[in-house]
Amino acid sequence: MGRKKKRQSKPWCWYCNREFEDEKILIQHQKAKHFKCHICHKKLYTGPGLSIHCMQVHKEPIDKVPNALSNRSNIEIEIYGMEGIPEEDLKEHEKQKQGGKNSDSEDEQPQSKKQKNEHQNNIGIGSLPTGMMPPNVMPPQYGPPMIGPIGPVGPPFMGTGMPPMMASPAAINSGSLNQGTPTTMGVAPQAHPNKPLFPCAAAITASTSSSTLVGSDFKPICSTATGVSTKPTFPAYGSTSVDQKVVLINTVGASSKIIHPSEDISLEEHRTRLPQYKSEESVIAVTTAESTETNSALTNSTSTSVPSSATLTYAQQVEIGKHQQHQHQQQQQQQQQLHQQQQAVAAAAAVNAAAAAAAASMMPRFPQIGTVPMSVPMSVPMSVTMPPASGITLMTPMAGTQLIRPAMTFGPHTAIMAPTANMGMLRPSPVGFPGFIGTTPMMNPYAAAQMTFPGGPVLTSMVPRFR
Amino acid sequence: MFSQGGLGSTTFASSTISATVNPNKDFEVVSPPEDSISALAFSPASIPSNLLVAGSWDNCVRCWEVEQTGKTIPKSMQNVQAPVLDVAWYDDGTKVFIASCDKAGRCWDLASNQVIQVAGHDAPIRTCHWIKAPNYVCLMTGSWDKTLKFWDLRSPTPIMTISLGERCYCADVDYPMAVVGTAARGLIIYQLEGKPQEYKRVDSPLKYQHRCVAIFRDKKKSPVGYALGSVEGRVAIQYLNPQTPKENFTFKCHRSNGAPGGFQDIYAVNDIAFHPVHGTLATVGSDGTFSFWDKDARTKLKPSEPMEQSITRCCFNHNGQIFAYSVSYDWAKGHEYNTIKKNHIFLRSCFDELKPRATS
Repeated sequence: MGRKKKRQSKPWCWYCNREFEDEKILIQHQKAKHFKCHICHKKLYTGPGLSIHCMQVHKEPIDKVPNALSNRSNIEIEIYGMEGIPEEDLKEHEKQKQGGKNSDSEDEQPQSKKQKNEHQNNIGIGSLPTGMMPPNVMPPQYGPPMIGPIGPVGPPFMGTGMPPMMASPAAINSGSLNQGTPTTMGVAPQAHPNKPLFPCAAAITASTSSSTLVGSDFKPICSTATGVSTKPTFPAYGSTSVDQKVVLINTVGASSKIIHPSEDISLEEHRTRLPQYKSEESVIAVTTAESTETNSALTNSTSTSVPSSATLTYAQQVEIGKHQQHQHQQQQQQQQQLHQQQQAVAAAAAVNAAAAAAAASMMPRFPQIGTVPMSVPMSVPMSVTMPPASGITLMTPMAGTQLIRPAMTFGPHTAIMAPTANMGMLRPSPVGFPGFIGTTPMMNPYAAAQMTFPGGPVLTSMVPRFR
Repeated sequence: MFSQGGLGSTTFASSTISATVNPNKDFEVVSPPEDSISALAFSPASIPSNLLVAGSWDNCVRCWEVEQTGKTIPKSMQNVQAPVLDVAWYDDGTKVFIASCDKAGRCWDLASNQVIQVAGHDAPIRTCHWIKAPNYVCLMTGSWDKTLKFWDLRSPTPIMTISLGERCYCADVDYPMAVVGTAARGLIIYQLEGKPQEYKRVDSPLKYQHRCVAIFRDKKKSPVGYALGSVEGRVAIQYLNPQTPKENFTFKCHRSNGAPGGFQDIYAVNDIAFHPVHGTLATVGSDGTFSFWDKDARTKLKPSEPMEQSITRCCFNHNGQIFAYSVSYDWAKGHEYNTIKKNHIFLRSCFDELKPRATS
């Protein structure tokens, strides 16, 4: 079996991953590209040979094989054609050939073409394939460095007899409030589905370490086969706080690297998360439901450091006005729910009982407190439907936070908790915390280790990322 | 105004700067911002002098007057309490709009030096543009709250809100056309005649995150298309209604020239600007270089020497004599590369360099 595969695959150059029709040509290539002395242009036979030649003839040390990929530039390794390639690299190469999922070899052009077609076909059908589309890895094209006609770009958006822009404004849907329903084709799959689908799956892989079928399905996409594997660090870190939908920028292939943070958000968004631009951090949070909650906790608890007035623009105040009424009604409901929730908590986890008790004692205060600072966050859980699982995940760290916070801050927190809890409650199964395997055990330690939990900083770092 | 060679003919003012800081031997703007420069804009043609405004991450907007000699005079500065993400000029050159991270859009009246809030979003405002139509004028703001809002400056509520579906990452306006690039590679064209309306949503010609967009005009000076830059060192030239599909194309830029088959670093295209006279374009990138291009001949007119840090933004003055570009860290390499280096804004006499080459 293994032999058969070997015969099928073309000879390839270990130094630059290029494939050749014939081993003879491969050897010629290696001599010309990788084993040529840069001083006298003599062609040597192997890397060590080149190194020795340079040392002895020119008295110049050479530490890298010329024109090699950065991880394949070891001059010590003796490779001649296909001889001497480390076993694991051979296997890796073969696997990539076979899987057809490789991203780093030269011959994947046809594949990307195929994907392009797929993309076209799927535009109408929708979500999943298109959601997976962006990760499609670009073929490393070694075109001329000039502006060149790199080919006509995909047909779908080529105006098919589109009316001239200025001529018929009426043809397009009017730019009023609900632009959500697009008339143009290809909008929906692009803007929406790739958000919920792909990132969710990624988050699942990250948080529950037992990645199931879904996870493995998505794997080749979010973690590109080779090269820089910086990715896992991010989700691993963040996944403790909430489920986050971290979309990553796909790498281009083994021979190149995009100099950009791995997460697919703009550099500016990235930067606003930094501590020195801290006041903006709370601002960012408003955009996602999850982060709002975590963050409002932060804002309230450290009420001095993050001036809520600074973050409340008048636009928000308008919004607050809108929501205030709604909110009062909600609060009453929440009180009831809170009771239920507390019982559930107490029954489920002994550790959390303390929190519940504390919450109960704080009850009278909470209508007065939870007005301005929480109104903005409040609006979010109502309008945004979030995955229930994440809602619960969220609550637990909250409970932990509450325990160490001064009483004052408590009201808003519980208020925020309530709707999320409710979402959990409404689900058919009577949800207690233990129901959520994977998340709860992770959270409880926080609640237990009340005093040692370093509130502020950790919360800051837990501020979830977008999407 | 800026006679040709006006900037270049005088002796270079700041010869003390080492070659690596200013490898292209350009004029340096005095008293640059303390933190990374995030926005850059020259005053419109309606005022005789060249005023340059820069917004930065130190929460400030600064204004300089640029003289013909290349000398810059700091005019004014305002602190807006939050990092600035974009600036735009009012059409008569008396006011500057400021988009910032505290979700507020502001108007800075240069004569009175007063700043008032004129716009608000639920998330940081990424872009701002002044729209001057025959029948209306307004400020367009694009935000990470996934909306585009239009403000008439007198009312605290927008005259119109358009949902983008995703966070706004970049935008450009050239009446009657507006283009917005969003997260998740969204691209929406608006037509502004009568009132702002969505014209069409376009499938992205690029496979990576959108970073900057600039509208270009045809020979008759009406907007016909746009150039879109992504984080993957690539720019797409797109016509709204191409005569043939071949008119649209993409090209690579801002990448390290590795040996063929060698390892290549690919940088983000941070900004694109079209020359107001020649219609050629400039791109600047995280790799610390700017390049001038002729999209019609599909050639590079000029590469630059690399700076020490990324070039974050660029712009031309109204008559295309001066090319301004800002050099700061843009966070592309993450935290560990955030060495505190000085930020710079350089001015280059560029009129001739951006001339399309004579077609033989």
